[in-house]
This record gives sequence, C-alpha cells and structure tokens, in this order.
Amino acid sequence: MDPVNVAVIVKMEPDFSEGNVSYNPDGTLNRAETKNILGPHSAIAVNAAFYAKIKHGAKISICTMGPPVAESMLQHSQLMSDADELYLYSDRIFAGADTLATAEVLKSGILKMQGKMDIVFSGHRASDGETGQTGPQTAWKLGMTFLGNVIDYEIDPESRTIRVKRLVRLQGIYDVVEEVEAPLPVFIAIDPSYKPKFNTVSQRLAYEKYQKEARQRSQDFKQYLKVLNAAQIEADPKLIGISGSPTIVYKVERIPKGKATRQAEIIDGSDQEQIRRIVAKMRQSLSTMVIK
Amino acid sequence: MEKYDVAIIGGGSAGLAALKRLSTLGKQAVLFEAGEKIGSKNISGGILYSKKPKNGKTHNVEDIYENFLTDRPYERKITKYVLHATSKDKIFSIDLTAAHEYEANFGCSVLMSKLNQWFLQQAQETAEKQGGGVVSGVHVKDIRWEEGQTIVQTNELEEVAAKAIIAADGVNSEIAYMTGARQKFSPNQLYQGVKVVVKLPEEIMNERFSIGEDEGAAHLFAGDVTMDHIGGGFLYTNRDTLSVGAVYHLDSLLETPVEPYELVNTLLRNPMISDLIRDEVPVRGEIDKNLAKEEQMRIRFAVTKIIKTWTEMREAYYSKGERERLVREGKYSAPEEMEAQLSSIRDQMSTKYGMKFETDYVEAEYSAKLVPDGKRCRMEKPYFKNILFAGDAAGRGIFVGPRIEGLNVGIDDAVRAADAVARALDKNNFDENYLGQYYSQSVEESPYTHDLKSIDKDYLKIFLDAAKDVPKDIINSKYGMVVKMMSSKTLRNFAVGFANILGYEKILPIIETVETYVRVPTELAERLGKSVSSSYTPTIPSIAQRVAKLKFNDDSVSHIKVLKPTSEFMKKMTVLCPTRCYLMEKNGVMIQHEGCVECGTCAEETEWSHPRGEKGINYQFG
Repeated sequence: MDPVNVAVIVKMEPDFSEGNVSYNPDGTLNRAETKNILGPHSAIAVNAAFYAKIKHGAKISICTMGPPVAESMLQHSQLMSDADELYLYSDRIFAGADTLATAEVLKSGILKMQGKMDIVFSGHRASDGETGQTGPQTAWKLGMTFLGNVIDYEIDPESRTIRVKRLVRLQGIYDVVEEVEAPLPVFIAIDPSYKPKFNTVSQRLAYEKYQKEARQRSQDFKQYLKVLNAAQIEADPKLIGISGSPTIVYKVERIPKGKATRQAEIIDGSDQEQIRRIVAKMRQSLSTMVIK
Repeated sequence: MEKYDVAIIGGGSAGLAALKRLSTLGKQAVLFEAGEKIGSKNISGGILYSKKPKNGKTHNVEDIYENFLTDRPYERKITKYVLHATSKDKIFSIDLTAAHEYEANFGCSVLMSKLNQWFLQQAQETAEKQGGGVVSGVHVKDIRWEEGQTIVQTNELEEVAAKAIIAADGVNSEIAYMTGARQKFSPNQLYQGVKVVVKLPEEIMNERFSIGEDEGAAHLFAGDVTMDHIGGGFLYTNRDTLSVGAVYHLDSLLETPVEPYELVNTLLRNPMISDLIRDEVPVRGEIDKNLAKEEQMRIRFAVTKIIKTWTEMREAYYSKGERERLVREGKYSAPEEMEAQLSSIRDQMSTKYGMKFETDYVEAEYSAKLVPDGKRCRMEKPYFKNILFAGDAAGRGIFVGPRIEGLNVGIDDAVRAADAVARALDKNNFDENYLGQYYSQSVEESPYTHDLKSIDKDYLKIFLDAAKDVPKDIINSKYGMVVKMMSSKTLRNFAVGFANILGYEKILPIIETVETYVRVPTELAERLGKSVSSSYTPTIPSIAQRVAKLKFNDDSVSHIKVLKPTSEFMKKMTVLCPTRCYLMEKNGVMIQHEGCVECGTCAEETEWSHPRGEKGINYQFG
C-alpha cells in the first residue's frame, strides 16, 4: 500500500484582530504596522491535512506563494501539522498576480513536489481577498477532481478512493450534507466549519506524538524549507505575475453605509432591573411579530 | 476494543506523577484529562513542598522529575513566611519562616497551568515509550466491570479496557461518586478557596518584597480580614505575578454566608496588601465622539495595541532573564535602548492618545476551588475494586494552623498508587486484597497520613517559639491556660500526647474556632500592631467583570442540575457560589448563567459532574 501524499496551499494574510491590526487615517490597511499570519481559512486546510497524517501517516507538503517573510507563516503551518516539506515560491516576477496567475505558480510548484499528490487541500477563501478562486483554479490547472465545501473526509488507502461530506445548498435549502465518493487524486477546498474528529485513544495518542514532533521540527523549520523562484518551478513567464493576470482592478469604492432605520436604546448594566427591562423590550417586540 | 494496562483519570499534579512513575517503571498507562489541555482546570494557592520527615519517607517532586530543580517550572522558592494578624488599620506580624522550613527541603510558589504543562512534558516522553500517553479534552463518564475487564467509557472516544485505574480526578471526584467509593464531602470537611492572580513586574516585586531573584515571600492573614469566618487570607509571590486568596471553612461560610469574592476584596482593600500589589496602570483617554465612526474605531484599536506593546515591553524590561534574552537575540543592543524605547512609548501614550498613568493594581485571573480538609475527610480505604484514589480525590489535604499542603501530598499518593499498580501488573493480580489493600497500607505509612492523624509537638514548639513575643494576657483565660501549658516542654509533651490519645478529631473544634482565627488576631493587631496605610484605593473589578475575563468553552448541555431549588442550602448558594451562578427566582433557586468555574461548592445538593471534554473553564494561570 502506497503512503498517502497530501499537499496544502496556504496564504499569508494580515492579522485583523484588535490589538494587532493598524489602519491608516484614510481607513485603508496599514500593512507595515500590521502583523502577518497564516490565514484563518488556510489554517483549517492545514488542520485537515494533519488529520490524514494521524489516520494514515500521510506525508504533508505545504506551499505558498509570497515574499520571503512568509517563511515564518510556513513555520507556523508546520507547527500545526508536522509537515514533512515546506515550499515558498518567491520571485519578484510573481508580483501583481491575481488569482489565476497565483494558481499557475501553485500548480507549477505542486507538479515539482516529490511524488504525485493524492490530495491537495486549500482553504475556503482568503480573509483579505475573499474571492475563493485560487483553490478551484489551481485544481482546474492541475486537472484534479475538485471537491468544495468539504466538512469531513475519509480516505480508503487500499482502493485509493475518498469519501467526503460536503455542506451545500440544494434547491434553495441551506446546509444540506452531500456525500461524495471519488477516486484519488482530488483537490479539496475545506469548509470553515470543518473539525477533525478522533474517536479512539490510539488516534489521540498519535495526535500527541505528531504534535510533539511538529514542535521539534518547526524549531528547525529551515531544514524542511525550500525557497524556489519562477525558473526553479519552471513556471511559464507569460502566465504568472502581472502579465499572467487578466484581472484589472479599476477602482475600489467604500461600501456606502445604509441609514439606520432601527431605533436602538442602550441599556447599560447587568443588574436585575436592567435585565428585566431588556426582557420586557424583547417581549414587546416579539408580540408584534408574526411567526410563520 | 483497545486495551491498555492502566488508565489514569485526571491530569493534575497527582495524575501526572502517577503516569511518570508508572512509565519509568516500564508500565503502559494512558491518562485522561477532561480539560482542553493539561492544566486548564487546575487551581492551587499554591505552594508545593518537598519534605524530609524525621520518620518515614515522602516521594518528593524532585525525586519523580529529576529536572525539576534545574528547569525550574515553579515560580519562586519561598524564603520568607510571615503570619499577619490584622485589625482595621493595624497589623501585627509573626515570622513563621522556621515553621515553613520545618522538615522541608524547600517550598516553592507555583501556578498550575505552567507547572502541570511542564509535568506533562516530562511524563509524556517516558509514557510514549511504553505505548501510553496523555489524551486531553476527554471526560470519563462511566466505569464498568464486564467479563473480567474494566471498561472506561468517555463522552468523546470509543471505550477502552484497563487492568487497573488510578483516580486522581480531584476533590469533586466523579469516579468516587459513580462507584460509591465514598460519599460527596460535606461542608464541614471542606474549605473553599478563592484566588486572584495579580500582575507585577519581576524586579519591582523583588524590590518591594526585599527578595532576591530566586527568593520568595508568603504572607498569611488572620483577624479582621476574615469577616468573622474560620480561615484566612494569603499572598504569595510568583515570578511576575502575585497570588492573593482567601480560604475558609465551608461550614463556617454556610453559617454566616458572605460572597467569596468579598472575602478576597477585603484582603485587596487591606492597606498593607493594597500597597504590596500596587503598580502603574495606563488609563484610556476619552475618544472624541464627534469624529467619524471609523476614526474612533481606528483610535480605539491603536490604543489597545500601544497598551499591549507597552505592557509586554515593560514586563520584559523588569525581568533580568528577559532583558538578557532580548539583547542576546539582537532585538536590542543594550538594556538602555529598551529603557529609552519604553519611555518614548510612554510619552506617546500620554501626548498622542491622552492617556494617564495611575497607581492601581492589575488583576489577571479570578479562580476558585474546594480544598479537602484531610484531618476530617481522608478516605481511610482509598480504593474500590481495582481503582485507587489519590490526592484531592481521596480527600488528602493538610491544613494544620498555618501549614497548608496539598500538591505534595497528591504527588506522594500518586507514586504509592503507581508502585502498587506496577506490583499488581507484575503478578497479574488486581484483587482488592492484593492491589487495594497494599496501596491503602502504603498510604497509611506515609508521613503525611501521620500528620493528618496527630499533632507534631516539634512543629508546635516552633510555632509557639515564633509567637513567644505575644503577651500571654492577650489571650483570654481559655487559651491562656493552653498557651501557658504549651510553653513548658514537659507539659507540652504531656498535653500533645494526651490530645493525640483523645483523638485529633475531638480537639479540632477547640482549636479551629472564630476565637483563634478572628478575635485573638484582631485583638493582637489592635494592641500591638503597627498602623498601616495605603496611598491609593484599588479599583476592584465586579464579579461580572471577573467572570467575563475568564475563558470558557461554552457547552450547550448544562453539567449541573439543581435538585432542591427551595432548600436552605441552595438559598445560601446564591451568595456562596464564587461566580454567582445562582439567582433566587419565584420558584426557588435557578442557575442564571454557566460561567461556572467547576469548584463544586454547590455539589452537595445538586446533580454535579464536570462538563464534557474540552468544555467549561479554561484557566490561563491556575
């Protein structure tokens, strides 16, 4: 039985949490002052890959396209997943890439990885760009079966197939769970609600073991890291960077704020009297509401 | 079904010591911890001792973990131990360092989150080699015996079978209740402890407490601050935090209920303590409400960030170790550069953001726990079938006057339990007669058990020597006699001998009274004490603010069910619950919120279990 080979594509994003993020006076993001972290959706994808390691001892390769500083984010990804290999695709000609040109770089990089990938994971979307396109586009370029919104998966390493649960919207109904079986290889865009489940003590012990190994590995992460440029991954210069990006950002506008139509009353305090007032208000509004 | 040799339930310092010992002996053991991670549900005052008793041997922390003294996962070695008798504004202090050092190698202050994480690291490595380890976020809900197997059932994982079980699941041991090994402890067998962790930069603390880098101070408080309850207050120095707490007999609290946090607040308001915990605290300026909403938000975020930067940098600057590390790592060329940057940030805070700096104190975490009074509640037979109980789960805490020990007792028990289990594994005999009784006997031989059964007259002498300056006439006739008697060696020996024959339990109600804990100390302070005053009044957070600051992993299923909503006991819980979970409604007492810290104060008359795995309170300091 061949070992399972998985790759994860991740993205470095600004940390939007209070205390870490800085804005310029004009309301735009102050990139110099804001810390960069592993994007929250990428982190979920990394978690999903770690699950394959615990269940099947899968080999994990994590890659990203970004500036040299992105290596600390790869270190963090390794800490989360005990990744065996880290790839940073960094080149000045990658600059100005839209999702399509980024997908080209990631595709070229994944093809250059050791061994054939059985699964490639990506996050659902990025928290800064929010397009959700890079994953599907990379899948398309790789010619892999694309499975989006995946909330759970089980690999059968023997028959080389995968069963996944997808959270989809079907005929206008939200949150329908669809179960799909597909032959490997597949490309999985992981759903934000994904949570790995471990049901046995031995799996949990393996989890602890790999986590410890991950702590050791990530302290020495450069040993596992390869920084590659466009030539090294043999990316077609016409399809990458600004020249490979058909997207034109014409203008960025602020979303106008709608006028508030509600009349809010601020009730301050948590004592009994204030809580009674809140409950009374809720009763009052509910009484006028018709629940169908 | 997966099978393991030993299952250990509870990842506190006792459970981890059992794991470490068993794996060192080459045995396979799996430890189950309900908290999200090890240490997230553990609370201690706390001081961890290492003892060298005259008779017998205790298994000390450094015997189990050989790197303990070099890695120093503790906070500070306590080198000063002082008891303070308080009245409203006077304090009379008695140096008890000799009593603290009695039969001790050392006693060090600890914070459980950090300490247990370190224990985990040490134990896990050896456990893995034996095919065992630690699983956290898993709550054991049942144990049953079937076809010669002991099956452990959890809320989270598939069942596993084990040959023997060590239950180290704390004072509210569910394993004990579900097996019927013991009853729930009653209020007269328990203390309730409530603690706040206060931040104070390391070197500022060194100077204020006149202690060196690896020295520490412990202060105990009796008298006025007890608000007429049996028990007292404490203040321990950690590395860069202080633990300030109040520990009171639960039946004394039930007699005259007072909010537990008020007992801590009274300590914090005591001028001596206020002054010890004071620090420089930045206060946010008003943000101009006329500015655009986005601009207001931008300023608010920027202020949060600058306060964070300043606080972190200041903590590092006032710590020798951190300063040296930052210079070594090339972040700063010299400490002077740090100082300059720190003051420039401070300037920016006041000029750019209109912030002020005030004298106040910084509270980091509020916590509560029940403590078993081992004198009154230790399990005489700490086993049931092939389950051995250790530490708090077996009701083994030592409270003798100013002597407070729990952690080291738990570790000693755990080692004895591990040894008994290893012996049973070798012979493949898990019979009560072979395993349980052997353990029970081993625990009975522990010097700690001896201390739970009788008064040590040498310890008493040290205590009396320390208090020799106290004029005898201050103590009313009832105690004057006793004190006079105790001052003479022959009489003391006779009296202690007599008391021990009479039985410890019978004399406890004479020793542990409002008289000894409240009246005598208050009078002492009034007559002999020095006046104390504080330069400021601390801004004490409300209980709602304290609970809001704690980290919870909310559970949709409640882990507590009120059984008798109209009982007197439950009515008192509306006052005595440390996080004010209960409220009096029309139909009786109801749970009003689930900001429960799982202390178990209300367990007596509720259906009480720990939350499912990973759920509930998640302490950061402990």
